[in-house]
Amino acid sequence: MKGSRKTQLIESIMEVVRIVAGMAIAYAVALLILVLISDDPIFIVRQFILGPFSSPRRIGSIINLAVPFIICGLSMCFMYAVNKFNLIGESIFMLSGCVVTFVGILIGDRLPMIIMVPLLLIIGAIVGAVLSFVPAIMDRKLNANVVVVSLMLNSVIAQLAIWILRYHMRDTTISFTGSKTTPESMQLPTILGNLRIGSGIIIALILVVIISILFFKTSFGWKMRIVGANPNFARAVGFSTLGISFTAQLLGGALAGIGGATEIMNTYKRYLWTATTGHGFDGLLVAVLARKNPILVPIGALFLSYIRIGADVVNTSGDIPSEFVTVIQGIIILLVAAESFLSGTKRRLIYNTVRKEEAEKQGESNKEVK
Amino acid sequence: MAKEVLQIDGVTKIYPNGFMANKDISFSVGENEIHALVGENGAGKTTLMKILFGMEDCQEGKIYINGEEANIQNPLDAIAKGIGMVHQHFMLLPSLSVAENVTLGVEPMKNGLLDYEAAVKNTQEIADRYNFKVDATSKVKDLSVGQMQKVEILKALIKGAKILILDEPTAVLTPQETEELFEQLFALRDSGVSIIFISHKLEEVMHICSKVTVLRRGQCMGTYDTANLDESKISRLMVGRDVVLKFEKEDPKIAENILEIKDLVRINSFGKHVVDGVSFSVRSGEVVGIAGVEGNGQSELSEVIAGLAEFAEGDVILNGKSIKGLSVKEIRDNGLAYIAEDRMVEGVAADMSIEMNIMADRFDDKRYKKGLFVDAKKIREEVDEYIKQFEVMCDGADQPVRMLSGGNVQKVVVAREFTSGANFILANQPTRGIDVGTAEMIRKTIVRKSREEGTATILISADLNEVLECSDRLLVMRKGKVVAAFPKANEVSEEELGEYMLGLKEMNAQQMEGLL
Repeated sequence: MKGSRKTQLIESIMEVVRIVAGMAIAYAVALLILVLISDDPIFIVRQFILGPFSSPRRIGSIINLAVPFIICGLSMCFMYAVNKFNLIGESIFMLSGCVVTFVGILIGDRLPMIIMVPLLLIIGAIVGAVLSFVPAIMDRKLNANVVVVSLMLNSVIAQLAIWILRYHMRDTTISFTGSKTTPESMQLPTILGNLRIGSGIIIALILVVIISILFFKTSFGWKMRIVGANPNFARAVGFSTLGISFTAQLLGGALAGIGGATEIMNTYKRYLWTATTGHGFDGLLVAVLARKNPILVPIGALFLSYIRIGADVVNTSGDIPSEFVTVIQGIIILLVAAESFLSGTKRRLIYNTVRKEEAEKQGESNKEVK
Repeated sequence: MAKEVLQIDGVTKIYPNGFMANKDISFSVGENEIHALVGENGAGKTTLMKILFGMEDCQEGKIYINGEEANIQNPLDAIAKGIGMVHQHFMLLPSLSVAENVTLGVEPMKNGLLDYEAAVKNTQEIADRYNFKVDATSKVKDLSVGQMQKVEILKALIKGAKILILDEPTAVLTPQETEELFEQLFALRDSGVSIIFISHKLEEVMHICSKVTVLRRGQCMGTYDTANLDESKISRLMVGRDVVLKFEKEDPKIAENILEIKDLVRINSFGKHVVDGVSFSVRSGEVVGIAGVEGNGQSELSEVIAGLAEFAEGDVILNGKSIKGLSVKEIRDNGLAYIAEDRMVEGVAADMSIEMNIMADRFDDKRYKKGLFVDAKKIREEVDEYIKQFEVMCDGADQPVRMLSGGNVQKVVVAREFTSGANFILANQPTRGIDVGTAEMIRKTIVRKSREEGTATILISADLNEVLECSDRLLVMRKGKVVAAFPKANEVSEEELGEYMLGLKEMNAQQMEGLL
């Protein structure tokens, strides 16, 4: 009995050590790269770490950037929870933004914001749910790998969004490709004065609360997590595993749709996207960082937007291209997601414990014999 | 004594979950020897051979080849040191020819390209030398299973294998193919190849092997000359009881039929009848034990009863209702509790909390809901009660099951299955690999529930103690059929049981009448 406690203690300690070590290594590599490629590494390093906090506006930017990360992170929590890496969120985000802009312009100023915003969020959610249905049903009925199908569909859907933009809502009076301006009733106001934070963060945080309740307080959330953790077990205790993973994917898709709608309303006056924005994949990164726990999603999202803003700061105030941030991201993902990172150490510790216990047991039984 | 080509010295393997699969195993294999490695499934044979072939690491112990210590890190090392392995499941590329499969990794090259003709020539040469009747140019997908096995052996030989491991080679062969294989193994032996032959078909072991090493539950029971043994002696070494445990229990108060199995047939994807016309019933208040060497249809039968697998013919009737076409939930609602064979696969979701695992079958029920949400307080109260009642050693209901020891994981499983209100318990290997105390608790609870609550139970176990002491009636399964039935399990001797389990004896329908 004592043994289980020891093994378990080793497990929990190693889990924390693994994440902290992963983050630390990623940071160390980032700093090393900065030192290597910059003429003024100390200044750059300071900019990278402290820069994002150097002005109220930058702090506001961290939060604004975190809004889509949070919502897409929640979206991927659903896919991740049932172990279906349905990556359709990437294009849902784009098309949903496109569709709500289209509908918003169509309605114009006829509806007050209090009705307009929820309406557009619902439209975004429907767009997302409908689109995520396609890879989900293909996975279930045709046994087509959900990752492949969703990735392929992403390019198709992106072209659809571009087509709507070019042929149905392009503003021909401007020199670049963009829609007409959106009505004010769908431009979310900023809050907290000079931080210039868009009120989209409120939508994101409300969603965090709702999704966390769904995950941890409803029987659907419980079943979904069990299906993801062990589908064989879920089946043996009588869950409808297919139905549950299907529903989770639709909910995840709906969230990605809400994400796209919120982003348009929170930061844009026109729809400008002519390619997918990467938010769907960022959502996956956030969900991995948050260990598919919706409560931790804001933390993962803020961390990601902090290093992105840090990279921007370094880019504008120094001699470093902002792309280098993808290096850090890559290392973090590798080390945090790689579950067997440091597993050798863990195994050795467990092995030694089991051996010692066996020896103790033998010692005891020898005593009994005597 | 013949020269020792392979010596295994004190090998211990502990899996990352703390399971000790091999414990201080030592034995050696001589030159020109066919050496049997026998033991039930789960005894550690395959793990040991995987260590030898570099597919698994071990924590302690050494391997010597021709007296020299060998450090085998991966299969390439093993091959370089002259070890070849033929796996139970073939590892061949069906769309390529025999020659291409055989020479894969040691291809003869010409001008930087594969010299196909040389590959065919080399392959055919070796095949002919050992009288293997395969055509090197035919595609593997067109071969029979027996021929595919020859290709596997050729693969090892062409790489210069001096020690050949065959993992249950005859399981897939017809009697004629088996006979042919044996001839070829003799030829190989005489040409200087040592063979490790893994099997639990004892007549084959007696027929072709000169030495036999017996494993039981990860431990080595010794190496013997087959000349000094007979089949029943080996069977005792393989399946003998470790400790005789005596179990006080009242006579069962048997009432109506709870479960009836009628002429049940299940056919696997290879067309083999894995459950072959099984009929028996289980009545309220009794524990029916099913003994047998693993892999003789017990698991397949239990999957069918649990609603996890389809069946081809016959019927299973639980509480008066056929399970055909019912979902697992419907079968469970109709009275099934299921302790799955592999608790980590079907018994728990290891990453989830103890609470979710214990309540998994019922938190969807109205009793545990408050409006839209689960009634967390009520669930927690009940779980804490179960944790106390079943003595689960843990830090609390929130702890992931993964962190518990095997015995405590199983307590979580039985805390769910014994409290679900079912009147039929299907327990498949309920105490495998867990500590004595927990095993005792589970056995006692099974018997107590049958006596006090009138529960009907099927107990499938490879642990003879368990089936002999806990069961009222006892059935023996072999090759998908019930081959023996005894009215009182605790009056059966293990020798007798062993003979039925290993196919040395079989009862006919008249002998079993009234006992099914």
